Amino acid sequence: MNRKKDKGFESPRPFKLTHQVVCINNINFQRKSVIGYVELTIFPTVVNLNRIKLNSKQCRIYRVRVNDLEAPFLYNDPTLEVCHHESKQRNLNYFSSAYTAAVSAVDPDAGHGELVIKVPSELWKQGDDLKVLKVYIEFSLDQPKGGLHFVVPDVEGSMAERGAHVFSFGYQNSTRFWFPCVDSYSELCTWKLEFTVDASMVAVSCGDLVETIYTHDMRKKTFHYVLPIPTAAPNISLAVGPFEILVDPYMHEVTHFCLPQLLPLLKHSMSYLHEIFEFYEEILTCRYPYSCFKTVFVDEAYVQVSSYASMSIFSTNLLHSAMIIDQTPQTRRCLAQALAQQFFGCFISRMSWADEWVLKGISGYIYGLYLKKTFGVNEYRHWIKEELDKIVEYELKMGGVLLHPTFSGGKEKDNPTPHLHFSIKHPHTLSWEYYKMFQCKAHLVMRLIENRISMEFMLQVFNKLLSLASTASSQKYQSHMWSQMLLSTHAFLKSISNVSGKDIGPLIKQWVDQSSVVKFFGSFAFNRKRNVLELEIRQDYTSSGTQKYVGPIKVTVQELDGSFNHMLQIEENSLKHDIPCHSKSRRNKKKKIPLMNGEEVDMDLSAMDADSPLLWIRIDPDMSILRKVEFEQADFMWQYQLRYERDVVAQEEAISALEKFPTPASRLALTDILEQEQCFYKVRMQACFCLAKIANAMVSTWQGPPAMKSLFTRMFCCKSCPNIVKTNNFINFQSYFLQKTMPVAMALLRDGQNICPKDVLNFILDLIKYNDNRKNKFSDNYYRADLIEALTNSLTPAMSINNEVRTVDNLNADVRLILEEITRFLNMEKLLPSFRNTITISCLRAIRQLQKNGHIPSDPSLFKSYAQYGHFVDLRIAALEALVDYTRVERSSAELQWLLSMAQNDPVHYVRHKILGMLCKNPPFTKTTDSALCNEALVDQLWKFMNSGTSHDWRLRCDAVNLYYMLFGLTRPSCLPLPELGLVLNLKEKKAVLNPTIKPELGVGAFNTMEDEDIDMETVHDSQAFIHHHLNLLERPSTPGTHTHTHTHTHTHTHTLPNPLHKHMAEHRRATSTGHLGHY
Amino acid sequence: MADPAVASGGPLNAGARGSAGKATSSPAENYLLARRRTLQVVVSALLTESGFESAEKAAVETLTEMLQSYITEIGRCAKAYCEHTARSVPTLSDTVVTLIEMVTNAPVTPKALSAGQKRTHPAHIPSHFPEFPDPHTYIKTPTFREPVSDYQVVREKAATQRRDVERALTRFIAKTGETQSLFKDDITTFPLIAAQPSTIPYLSALLPSELELQALEETDSSEQDDQTDGENTAGNAITDDPGADKENSMLPPSGVVPSTKASEDNVIDNPYLRPVKKPKVRRKK
Repeated sequence: MNRKKDKGFESPRPFKLTHQVVCINNINFQRKSVIGYVELTIFPTVVNLNRIKLNSKQCRIYRVRVNDLEAPFLYNDPTLEVCHHESKQRNLNYFSSAYTAAVSAVDPDAGHGELVIKVPSELWKQGDDLKVLKVYIEFSLDQPKGGLHFVVPDVEGSMAERGAHVFSFGYQNSTRFWFPCVDSYSELCTWKLEFTVDASMVAVSCGDLVETIYTHDMRKKTFHYVLPIPTAAPNISLAVGPFEILVDPYMHEVTHFCLPQLLPLLKHSMSYLHEIFEFYEEILTCRYPYSCFKTVFVDEAYVQVSSYASMSIFSTNLLHSAMIIDQTPQTRRCLAQALAQQFFGCFISRMSWADEWVLKGISGYIYGLYLKKTFGVNEYRHWIKEELDKIVEYELKMGGVLLHPTFSGGKEKDNPTPHLHFSIKHPHTLSWEYYKMFQCKAHLVMRLIENRISMEFMLQVFNKLLSLASTASSQKYQSHMWSQMLLSTHAFLKSISNVSGKDIGPLIKQWVDQSSVVKFFGSFAFNRKRNVLELEIRQDYTSSGTQKYVGPIKVTVQELDGSFNHMLQIEENSLKHDIPCHSKSRRNKKKKIPLMNGEEVDMDLSAMDADSPLLWIRIDPDMSILRKVEFEQADFMWQYQLRYERDVVAQEEAISALEKFPTPASRLALTDILEQEQCFYKVRMQACFCLAKIANAMVSTWQGPPAMKSLFTRMFCCKSCPNIVKTNNFINFQSYFLQKTMPVAMALLRDGQNICPKDVLNFILDLIKYNDNRKNKFSDNYYRADLIEALTNSLTPAMSINNEVRTVDNLNADVRLILEEITRFLNMEKLLPSFRNTITISCLRAIRQLQKNGHIPSDPSLFKSYAQYGHFVDLRIAALEALVDYTRVERSSAELQWLLSMAQNDPVHYVRHKILGMLCKNPPFTKTTDSALCNEALVDQLWKFMNSGTSHDWRLRCDAVNLYYMLFGLTRPSCLPLPELGLVLNLKEKKAVLNPTIKPELGVGAFNTMEDEDIDMETVHDSQAFIHHHLNLLERPSTPGTHTHTHTHTHTHTHTLPNPLHKHMAEHRRATSTGHLGHY
Repeated sequence: MADPAVASGGPLNAGARGSAGKATSSPAENYLLARRRTLQVVVSALLTESGFESAEKAAVETLTEMLQSYITEIGRCAKAYCEHTARSVPTLSDTVVTLIEMVTNAPVTPKALSAGQKRTHPAHIPSHFPEFPDPHTYIKTPTFREPVSDYQVVREKAATQRRDVERALTRFIAKTGETQSLFKDDITTFPLIAAQPSTIPYLSALLPSELELQALEETDSSEQDDQTDGENTAGNAITDDPGADKENSMLPPSGVVPSTKASEDNVIDNPYLRPVKKPKVRRKK
């Protein structure tokens, strides 16, 4: 982990895995169960290897054999229940440290695991010769809650006809959920994968499909896969279903799979993939490392894109037809991301969690290069700015994101991120949002490195890493080359310094070894006498998420004579920088003004300050620092910057700045940009919203028709009858996006009474009325959805008289019109559903807005019906979003319970994740506010949920932790009984638990507490005896007698129902954890 | 006017006689006699007008007979013309044609009935041909209503129509099925079709509706997948992507790899397309 010492890779295990066989004999869709075995070939690296620790979660293990000898084993998962049930602790700090300890206890990167196998003593002697051991484990999974996801639609017909399928999923290394393995990215081995499935199904997995063989009864077939490239277990995946198969027409070794009936969409969506392949292979000057590639599109996907060795699993919702505009770039981006991760992430794997940033960074960076090539430099720079803004906002709000955490000694005191409510020591303890920001920062830092050493060197480094890895991958295990396929921070930096000869140490220290971003405040004065620009750059490095920056910074000054770059040095105490200006103010000379890109333009200079030659100033224009800049310059300078600076980032900055200057000149600048067709469409879209804000601020002095109306009319309406929009023709995408955006922005206009002007509303209603898509090549579903959004934006709070009940009769006339449109759209969508139900989603948002503004009665039942399982997932999320909002506004405890129970029980993992995420974003109450909802029962419920209810999904558990933090904060929730009592509880834990008055009331907690009271003497006795037995087993060599005992005991496991099984495991863990803690 | 009538009386005698004979045999003799008397009065009046002071009874009878047969013939003939053109009530033009047929000069249309300036014959039409009728009988007056080609109105109409259809349809479905409401007191004003969970929600959310596919085909029917084998399309209910690549041989969704390989030469060697092997009598490794 420490980058100083990790020259070669040192395995934390006393053995090395070389090959693993995974064989799944039976997949039962009806019962949602899986039976199979694995066989791991390992080389002991120590003499007397007596224990083998492997990872396995929720698998039921029937037997373990080592070299054909029965071996005793212990299955112990401390993450099932993080804190001991008897504890009345409800403080998040306590939970976080307990959770981190639990994850550490089974962390494969530290050589630990849930499954401890005792090597039979007969084989010990063999260990001296370091001979191969074969560990054979039979296991089954019954209704897995994590790892594998079964989608079984409830209709008539065979499983294949029903479109039933199953696929593996997980956040980070989660393969242990579906078969026993060494679940680490750094333990590579070759693979043989066999899956026996129904004859009507296809099993898609990693590596090459060698052959497909029918079983003897011809009703099933077995897919044999071989993966000769050493691969880590977390990069192994499986998808089984009645997939339609499409061989890529351009690359025959690439195969695409989708669910029945979607083949036409698959064909269209995949028609582009070969270009992405070509792009990456060209820039990396390296062939795609695997011999084949498979894409599988599944329903109810965990994430949109997940990459595994030689295959990627995507959400089926990425598929689209040729008629859809908006989805197309998104799908292509997802494909490009997946493919970038094939090179860095799957083929080249990380050495440790601390090196994750390198792989995420490189894959994100080359994905960025793809964006630049495909969507253009403007789009790329826009994206970089967006990502930079995101990370800056997150870090300033939540505290720093640390890319390369180092843990010296592993003591809690050395926690590098004390501001966070979770530990960043393990990927499984991270909040999802943090992880997303982590990835975002990683690729931005890669870009900073590129800025420093040039793209050419950067690509050379990647090429070097890839060629090293490919050489290593073709070697036999014995050559000890495989660790070359693992990438560490150290190796990466070394490679950079070798290739470029440059020292990027300070850069790495600033952005990788340290968290936080830089916050600059800039202002300037022009000294006419000295003809000098006096620039002042201050920093805020004291507030959370900020750090001090010392080093070079680029400042670009546009003067009358041209554009000049200045490299300034930010030092400890210097705030002021003098920059000599080139031009005296010479406005009288009619001369074109040269811009940065060499272009020369005419400008109307009348707005300028007569004494100053400065047109505009930009600080760090290339975004080569992770920073936020707040710069002060006069409004006319922002206007010049918007009109004449050619960089989209500068234009966007100018637009944001102009919001504060509601003047006719700003209006004119924005309108000009809006009309300018050469201008990047996203800038023009942003200008729409800015114009709406300015118009609202200028409402008393605004001249002419509402903002953008005449512009829209000129661009999109008929010449002869300006109130009627032309029939849709979206062949020009730029104007399509503008056409979509302008009404949405216009609807934000407000008149003197702070309501949406009548003209604007009628205008939008007319757009809806006259919308005609019959002659269009493209679907107008997103456009119509945006028109509904525009209607939503036009809503303002209802005038309420005496809090009367909202009825149809007292509906405002305008609202009635809006409601009629929404009703019609919503109903039509039932008959002619739009792509991804975009229109219904907009309608639901509109209805929630109508409720919130008091036009119609606030009622959650409509949203509840749309949130049910069985609706399209986007629709469900939109409905849930409305419900979350309802819960907050109405402080409804019933709805909160409803949401939480869905978060606990919904079949779709993504929906559960989203519910918690949305509750965090829009919490019903926070730690600082008082609310009737905040009560002990809720605390207990959430605590139980994150403590034991989410053990099957790392992401969900972290979501629950986030929500708990949002609602109650780090310390003991205020709504719980007096803190004194809590203190007593902590001190006298055991006794307090025995006190029946404070017994938790619900579920497992109560059940376990009762056990502790020794009510069921026999159970406790039994399990304790069992545990003692096993502990003893671990300490001394086994005897044939213990063998049979273990065997019989595991056998009883197989016959118990899942719940008692978990209980048992929890029992084991509790009893053994004390023993284990001694080891760790 | 009287002259021609009298002069052309002769040739019609035979017909008139026939009808007279028939009339005597009919039972409504009184009517006949009354008509005859009227005609006699008319003849006598004409004679008086022409300057005769007295006439023999036989002469009056003859003249009456001639007049009657003449009128009868006009009626019969006009009726025949009228029925010839599949009408039941004779019109003026039928009568006119009849009169021309009977080689009398067509009666000059009374001044009061003629309108406008009649066209003279062009040079190539002999003058004995009938004159042009009154201009109003053939001149068309362009009085059509402005067809709704005004863009604004068309769009307006299309929009309203679509909205009405949608509203009616959704209301109907809402009335016949389960609904949800935003208001507790009034569940009919804004009825929402109840949300029904589906077993495979992603299908309807991802696949384009048939309507959209249809529209797409209309806008872009350039390329068609010409190579489809029956087995594959059977297993695949969704129509193929127009831009689909021909190289891909589709597989049935069941995943059973067809043992017969595609007949093309450039067979793709992909392990997922290879046939499944028969089990061998050997232990699995």
